[in-house]
Amino acid sequence: MEFVSPEGLRLDGRRPTEMRQLRAEIGNVAKADGSAVFEMGNTKVIAAVYGPREVRCEYSMANFSTGDRMRKPKGDRRSTEISLVIRQTMEACILTHLMPRSQIDIFVQVLQADGGTRSACINAATLALQDAGIPMRDIVTSCSAGYLNSTPLLDLNYVEDSAGGPDVTVGLRLLSCGTYGYTLGPMD
Amino acid sequence: MVGLSEGEQEFIKGGIAQDLRSDGRKRYTYRPIYVETGVIPQANGSARVRMGSTDVIASVKAELGRPSAMQPDKGKVAIFVDCSPTAEPTFEGRGGEELSAELSSALQHCLLGGKSGAGAGIDLSSLVVVEGKVCWDLYIDGLVISSDGNLLDALGAAIKAALSNTGIPSVHVAAEAASDEQPEVDISDEEFLQFDTSGVPVITTLTKVGKHYIVDATLEEESQMSSAVSISINRQGHICGMIKRGGVGLDPSVILDMISVANFVSRQLMDKLDSEIAAADADEDES
Repeated sequence: MEFVSPEGLRLDGRRPTEMRQLRAEIGNVAKADGSAVFEMGNTKVIAAVYGPREVRCEYSMANFSTGDRMRKPKGDRRSTEISLVIRQTMEACILTHLMPRSQIDIFVQVLQADGGTRSACINAATLALQDAGIPMRDIVTSCSAGYLNSTPLLDLNYVEDSAGGPDVTVGLRLLSCGTYGYTLGPMD
Repeated sequence: MVGLSEGEQEFIKGGIAQDLRSDGRKRYTYRPIYVETGVIPQANGSARVRMGSTDVIASVKAELGRPSAMQPDKGKVAIFVDCSPTAEPTFEGRGGEELSAELSSALQHCLLGGKSGAGAGIDLSSLVVVEGKVCWDLYIDGLVISSDGNLLDALGAAIKAALSNTGIPSVHVAAEAASDEQPEVDISDEEFLQFDTSGVPVITTLTKVGKHYIVDATLEEESQMSSAVSISINRQGHICGMIKRGGVGLDPSVILDMISVANFVSRQLMDKLDSEIAAADADEDES
């Protein structure tokens, strides 16, 4: 399938190094300490930050406390992986030593997925953390890129992402100009 | 939510008794309502409704399926609600399940009528394609993004708005198939039929605090409630569903009084919602 036309246009009419339309809103969730909605094209993600607050004892329902015996379902692997990636990225930037014995909860909800959800999640989480006023040493932004039809492409949408070519999501720290690169997806 | 002190609780209860709530509203006044339609382009229909700080999204997806054997001339609708942890940290993992289940079943009750499909606010016969063989299955998903009380009314409004935004693709059925075979269907990408929502009811929740009822309670006001009655009423003023929550018993005369208040209030809500939906649709058409 042709992802880049001979004139150099992608399936949605973009140039290879062109990003999708970005839109962001902060402060949507009034009750959260910080929140943000981030859109990259059709991918729409909302993030809410609660904290810093006291670490509460975790309490989980015992398996037998409801009528039927229900084992706690494991989050599917992909969401667990994305949560881990976001956590590692944010942990590196938040000045956690200023808030000992506290917990910061970042909740991210994907409203619509059209490729680049990891990046949208990181961007939304960054905005939400800033809206919450959490002390950070840097700002992280993120975007994905891939390689199809011998052309490097920026900001893949779902069709390009599922084409089977290699892709990478990069988290970039703005102020210190360091890069956290996460290679994800098979690099053929 | 941070706990309320005795003083704050008395303030809320006293205010309601004097028809002057903490945010200055009267007992039967709704918070400002904002409606946006088409927020999820990948769904057949969607809407986002904000009532004060309560923020919910409803999306409608339509898929072809088989009608049930007991009602071959009706399509099927399923309503699910998910409480996102962005609204409340305690909703993480299994935490929000109880509330989600309660809201889902309340919405099904108010909008879908009984098991036989009778009294449904949503006209299921308009969803049938080939009687007995092919029908549309509507999956309505509600998502609570931010919770500040009155989730049921907000979700009901969002579902009504999402349905008004829903386009069901028109289906061309291939010529006569044998009676027990599935007919071939061709779903058109171009033509869409707008779903008719004139019969869809709105849900009005009356929360009883002390001797008085209020409409559109905030989370703090809900914490002081003794009981709440949610009534879904359609444009004709007919009751499509009713639920009572809360442990305190209510005298039947109180319930009848609440129904007449709900009738009056829901008219205003319905008008406000219809005008907001029309404005949202117009905005969407322009953009």
